[in-house]
Amino acid sequence: MNDKGQLHTLEGLGAAVLMTLTILTISQSTMIVTPQNELAIDVHLEQMSSDALTVMDRNPVDSAQYNLTECIACWDMNEADYPTDTAGNLDELDAGLRYLLPNALYNVDLAYIENDDLKVDKAIINGPAGKNAVVTRHFVTLTNSTVSEMGGGWNLGDNELKVVEVRLTTWKI
Amino acid sequence: MEDLRKDTSGQWIALSGLVISLIIIGLAVLANQAALAGYHSSNAALEFPKENIRELNQHTRDNAQTIKDMAFYMNSTTNETVPVAFEQLFDNYSTQMQKLYAVHGEVVDVSLVSINSTTGNYTMEDIDMVFVNITYDDGRTHYSAEPEIIEVME
Repeated sequence: MNDKGQLHTLEGLGAAVLMTLTILTISQSTMIVTPQNELAIDVHLEQMSSDALTVMDRNPVDSAQYNLTECIACWDMNEADYPTDTAGNLDELDAGLRYLLPNALYNVDLAYIENDDLKVDKAIINGPAGKNAVVTRHFVTLTNSTVSEMGGGWNLGDNELKVVEVRLTTWKI
Repeated sequence: MEDLRKDTSGQWIALSGLVISLIIIGLAVLANQAALAGYHSSNAALEFPKENIRELNQHTRDNAQTIKDMAFYMNSTTNETVPVAFEQLFDNYSTQMQKLYAVHGEVVDVSLVSINSTTGNYTMEDIDMVFVNITYDDGRTHYSAEPEIIEVME
């Protein structure tokens, strides 16, 4: 029997065991995100867009950047027109979202109840939603005082409050 | 061929080849399982409506404060008492929320239980808490907070 190269063989064996143990440890301890799994990207994107809306909503009223309620309150009620006028007068909201959602495109729809009917307006259009787009939503409440302060086009009575659903559709580019 | 059959050298190499092939099979199984685990955990994360529930709860909390301010404004401009104005505004809010959630196939109910006043008077300073029932159901997940105690002191 040829006894040559036994150490090399043992070394190979040791390396293989080491690699297997490492992969086992990693795979058993955390959630594995495989690149092939598109759902994992959706989860990530959904969390990012949800966080973006929450961050904008939580902005204090007196801070330099308008918060989500203030942004929506200033809307002039003219729907966006793609590709000529993608954001209407919602520049603040558009700038905030663009900063918080890098490498992603988004559309914003506003849904609210008017005369007992649901009305959905397209506020920001950045194009047709791509593959694996996710939708997140956030609610804001508008009152006459917020709207008149921001100079928006919502026609509200003094004793009226309007709940508006901000619907954010996000997709990766 | 006969020479090859009688040549018994390199058995260690042959054995290590077998071992390495077994390891590769093991790794293939592991990778397969990881993909499956990733799919199931992502699916579970997408299906569970945690953001919707959190949003319902948080928005109701924020609104209780807005409604309190509006109720006092209504009280000063109309002849409604503060509790009645509060209830009317809250009902209005609740109806809008029910409709907006219903569009997505979710049933929510936000109803005012009581307005808590430390002294029994309904002034801006005395109303400190409101009790609200919040329920959410999307057919798979049910959530209820009965009551949710909301502090409305500025």
